[in-house]
Amino acid sequence: MKIRVWKSLARGVLLDAIRRKDLWVVGILGFLVVLCAGALGFFGFDGLEVFAKDLAVSVLGGFSTIVAIMVSSRGMTEEIKNRTLYPLLARPISRFDLLFGKFVGAVVATWVSFLILAAMTGIALSFFHVHFEAVTLQYLFLKMIGLTLVCAVGQTLSLVMTNSAAITTSLIVAFGSTLITRALGMGYSSAPPSMQAFFKALNAVLPQYGLFDIGSRVSYSGWGTAPLWVVGALTAYAVAYCGFMFILGWTKFNKQAI
Amino acid sequence: MDSKPKETCEVTEIKLSMEASAIAVHDLHVQYRSKKGKSVEAVQGLSFSVGRGEIVGFLGPNGAGKSSTLKALMGFVQPKAGRAYVFGLDCGSIDSRKRIGYLPEVAMYYPYLTPLETLTLYGELQGLFGSSLRKEATELLEQVGLGESLRKQNRSLSKGMLQRVGIAQSLLGSPELLILDEVTSGLDPVGRKELRNLLKQRQKQGATLFFSSHELSEVDMLCDRILLINQGKLIEERKLDTLKTDLRHFAITYSGDVILNDLADKTWSESGNLHTTFQNKELLIQGVQRVQLNGGTVIDIIAQEGSLEDYFVETIGKAAA
Repeated sequence: MKIRVWKSLARGVLLDAIRRKDLWVVGILGFLVVLCAGALGFFGFDGLEVFAKDLAVSVLGGFSTIVAIMVSSRGMTEEIKNRTLYPLLARPISRFDLLFGKFVGAVVATWVSFLILAAMTGIALSFFHVHFEAVTLQYLFLKMIGLTLVCAVGQTLSLVMTNSAAITTSLIVAFGSTLITRALGMGYSSAPPSMQAFFKALNAVLPQYGLFDIGSRVSYSGWGTAPLWVVGALTAYAVAYCGFMFILGWTKFNKQAI
Repeated sequence: MDSKPKETCEVTEIKLSMEASAIAVHDLHVQYRSKKGKSVEAVQGLSFSVGRGEIVGFLGPNGAGKSSTLKALMGFVQPKAGRAYVFGLDCGSIDSRKRIGYLPEVAMYYPYLTPLETLTLYGELQGLFGSSLRKEATELLEQVGLGESLRKQNRSLSKGMLQRVGIAQSLLGSPELLILDEVTSGLDPVGRKELRNLLKQRQKQGATLFFSSHELSEVDMLCDRILLINQGKLIEERKLDTLKTDLRHFAITYSGDVILNDLADKTWSESGNLHTTFQNKELLIQGVQRVQLNGGTVIDIIAQEGSLEDYFVETIGKAAA
């Protein structure tokens, strides 16, 4: 029964994303990437395989992260703002089911757009006669797990702040993740011992998106795949972090007057 | 030490009596925190009950606490104090919501879904699935006059049409209790009549209706009973037929030298004739008989229905004073 409820809610989110043309925008962007690559390939770009791969991976990562943030951040805030939440919560479902269903919907919509864009990018790279290695599949898997994390953070932030604030914060955390982690590391090294725990805690609380991006292994051939235990550990980290974010959001939403 | 068992007994007693009712509210308090952080008590110790199969109108001026009460019944807000039960079940519980169809005050539905998809989504959340859900959703949309707009996206529908989508979704799964907030909002006269018929039909099938409205004509035509609230407090609870009887006035126009002051509500002279109003039929009959016995002529007899609007304004005014 619960799975049916989650499925219905998720389908609603996906249908909404498709009708809003979110996924179409991704498709069009992908098509433009293909066109540009085709043009570059036509004029000859032999030897620039690494550059092309690097660019493609960056574009893929950037666009899909934006989609993840947009879809997950607006889900609950729009429900509350547009008052579409009332007829939903008037049904015999718990607030947990509602949140989880919306989350699953945001994740599926993000994955679909990511895979569309990945397919488009793959076509674009074929213009450069680029060969894909096994690590590409690992990259896609980890990226999807990372995007799930982005959705969890986006949805939770949307429950504690306004839509635009949630989007801005999510964007800063997502795109500045590596930079923030590095800055916190520097802060930790230079801070007095009494303050080091603070930096450590802050770093632990922030989502480590950078860990899920193995784009460099795709760009540079010969690096090989990441060990399976690393993939497993990252998946476990993502599940735990999503759970943490979810509980945080649910705690806020469960008693919230609407 | 003694207070706890007593309280438990009281709760059990209230709950038992509430199982017989569709809705039972006891000393309900609902509090909001305003944007400035100030606490606002929207509902202040409200107590009432709605019997199974009744149609009850919930009336009050803007900001009286109607929507807050309905939201508390649905579990959208946690009451600060008091108890509310739906069919003896705690209000807002999943079990109670299984038996309720709810229409929110403002009809807003997913703009990019069609009415049929909207109802299918809500139906699935209600526990309905497959072809039977699709059939029921289509039939309901046809009943509310959206047969030709089944596959148009909600964003292209007018306010009245969205209200119809809302009404249709509230009727999904044939709920035993319909809680409708501002039910006629945005509907044209034809839509109102259709809605009235639909709701009456549901009542005949055994449903209980509890709705808030500012449309007193709808209340007049639909309700068995009304609850009037102001500033979060219940100020009147009346059966509509007795209220109408109380509001009814009788008047006669007569000529002749007859004094009816002891029977009359009001007497005045106009165009050489006397006009007198009476509070009830018995006084009217006595008045007519006296005029005839004393050689006067009764020119006209009028039975005037009292205005629900006047009653509403007057009662709210008195309560505010």
